Amino acid sequence: MTDLIIQTQDLVKRFGKFTAVNGISLAVPRGAIYGFVGPNGAGKTTTMRILTTLTRQTSGEAWVNGLSTLQDAREVRRAIGYMPDEFGVYDDMRVWEYLDFFAACYDIPEGERRKLIEDLLELVDLAHRRDDMVDKLSKGLKQRLSLARTLCHDPAVLILDEPASGLDPRARVEIRELLVELAKMGKTIFFSTHILADVSEICTHIGILEAGEVIAQGSMEEMRAKLQPHREITVTLKDQDAVEAIKSTVSNIPHVVGVTELEPKGGRARVRIDFTGDDEGVSQLNQALYGAGIAILGFSEETRDLEAMFMRVTKGIVT
Amino acid sequence: MTLSDASLDPRDQRLERQGRILAWGAAACALIGLAALLLGLFLPLPALAGMLLFRSGGAPDSGLVAVAALCLFNGVGLVAARVGVAARELWSPFLLALIAAGNLILLIALGFTAGLVALVFAAWAGAGLWGERASFRRNPVALRELRGRMRGGRAFLVITVYIGLMSAFTLLLYAIYSTTAGYGSAAAGETGRVLFIGIAGIELLLIIFIAPASTAGAISIEREHLTYDLLRATLLSAPAFVVGKLEGALVFLFVLLLAALPLQSLAFLFGGVGETEVVIVFVLLAVTALALGATGIYFSAAHDRSLTATVRAYGLVAVLMFAVPLLGSLALEIVNQLLINPGAVTNQPALETVLVYAGLLLTSLSPVTAALNSQQVLVERQSALFWNGTLASSGGTIPMLSPWIVYTIIYLALAALLIMAAIRRTRQNREPA
Repeated sequence: MTDLIIQTQDLVKRFGKFTAVNGISLAVPRGAIYGFVGPNGAGKTTTMRILTTLTRQTSGEAWVNGLSTLQDAREVRRAIGYMPDEFGVYDDMRVWEYLDFFAACYDIPEGERRKLIEDLLELVDLAHRRDDMVDKLSKGLKQRLSLARTLCHDPAVLILDEPASGLDPRARVEIRELLVELAKMGKTIFFSTHILADVSEICTHIGILEAGEVIAQGSMEEMRAKLQPHREITVTLKDQDAVEAIKSTVSNIPHVVGVTELEPKGGRARVRIDFTGDDEGVSQLNQALYGAGIAILGFSEETRDLEAMFMRVTKGIVT
Repeated sequence: MTLSDASLDPRDQRLERQGRILAWGAAACALIGLAALLLGLFLPLPALAGMLLFRSGGAPDSGLVAVAALCLFNGVGLVAARVGVAARELWSPFLLALIAAGNLILLIALGFTAGLVALVFAAWAGAGLWGERASFRRNPVALRELRGRMRGGRAFLVITVYIGLMSAFTLLLYAIYSTTAGYGSAAAGETGRVLFIGIAGIELLLIIFIAPASTAGAISIEREHLTYDLLRATLLSAPAFVVGKLEGALVFLFVLLLAALPLQSLAFLFGGVGETEVVIVFVLLAVTALALGATGIYFSAAHDRSLTATVRAYGLVAVLMFAVPLLGSLALEIVNQLLINPGAVTNQPALETVLVYAGLLLTSLSPVTAALNSQQVLVERQSALFWNGTLASSGGTIPMLSPWIVYTIIYLALAALLIMAAIRRTRQNREPA
């Protein structure tokens, strides 16, 4: 059985008549980098606030590190490092004071804090800005400092709400690398994002949320397999006659589950073959088509990116 | 016991247990104090007075009033210690030790047996806290606030400008008054008194305007700057947060008060003002600062926006510092008219007693009237604490307290209530709209 560090069961949160979270059941394995994806208003932040004990659910259960967010709220807080989507600014503090303050709030003894702060600043590459005022940092550096803050008390899981939002490309890549580094250190990372490239780049798991409901979740491999159950091979043909020829040829080839005629492109006919075979099978399919004397101009396998998967499963419902 | 109503860990449970002991102690002291007050005022029992304060040396009824005042002080002290323990404040064990030692000294010196209650509860809680001594620490919130306030030359500049303005005001007052005053030690004493009252008055105004403003935004600004959730997600407790915010704001105000003490002491050069008056005025100013600061903190915890919190805090301060004394002085005028009209209270000592005490209470509601009346008592009765008043109707005596003591008890109790209410409001896990 998978060791789950975050688990929710039929989580519901209503604000008056508005249902922000509608029966979410999440399963985040320990050590995963879990991308929590969904359109604005899908309920990502509300779910994260429930997991961080900042909001009480209307019904359902949520556990972090095996602890109930309702009954063991204090211990849950020890187990999580939370970074909200907005950087809370204390404009009258130095970088080291900011970390020192939060370390004190997490009951880290005064004698241990100096070394801890040095290590954290080293980790997020901010050691050279130790004595700078926090409000003088760029947004990217503030996010890194914020990430260092979440690590003050060595939590098992980091819950990060849009950590890369509003960052320039370089800062985004740096944050991404930092998250991978933290995952290597054994932290579980649960983060929400709009940037699907980040998810496909670093995530081991993904959960897609829409209108307060989880519409798909699992490991990246599972999700790819689930959302794209067969390979899609596009064959570009010289003329329309070849289309009929190809249809009759492939109907007898194993693992071919369908043939669809596509819109011609540049005056050339195109056909999509849905194929469940492996690489060897693809090669044999290619040879069979050439062997049948069909005039083929192009033969390529389409790989759907995450964006296409996302568009396919979501319905564009905005609450 | 984090900012919202999260569960307690074992250490906090132990601290909470000791806090409850202190709360029970405070309640016991307050009950004894109120009972002694009622008995002392209306049903003097020499035996009881002798039992509670057997070496007072004064009249039995006066002894009971002294017992009442001391018990109420003990109650307020134990409440403060209870809040301090919950906030894991470094000063709270010292406060407990002070309460225990003070009551022990009073027991030995005056036979203040009622103090045994506070002594026992303070010692009981203190013994339970001995094992938790490593839990007490410098308040991180207060430390952060003070770091911000004292950073760079800003604090130095504020103190310098403040002292400069106060000095200029003192010089101006001296220049104006010395031209009209005569010569000799009596005139010098009068000059000293005017300077002292002038400086204390300016400090009071300063407290009335600065104390609520410096605390009314303290908690709401965390919401406005989006840092409140960051704190709520940590292990910081609501008492530590509220007390830290209050400390951060008030410490700087106390620095200003202390910085002006040398100016107040100028009055010693002229005479006319004694050390007792300086101490009484300092206590009144400090208690006022604490109570008005607590007013600001309460509204800051209760409202999301600093502007709303500030407006409401100033509203209550205006009521406490201006409306209540104004209505009080009107009521006092009526009371005084009744007292000086011989027909009204003739042969009615009970009515006269009630009117005298109503007058004492009304003069004790404002720091200005409390200070002026305390000084009058000091000059006329040579007492800064208790004395016996004489009833016109019967010629009998009734025990009286100096108004500054009554003011201190009332406003410390008000501050304690507001701080506890602020902690309660902070603990409530409020949902976004």
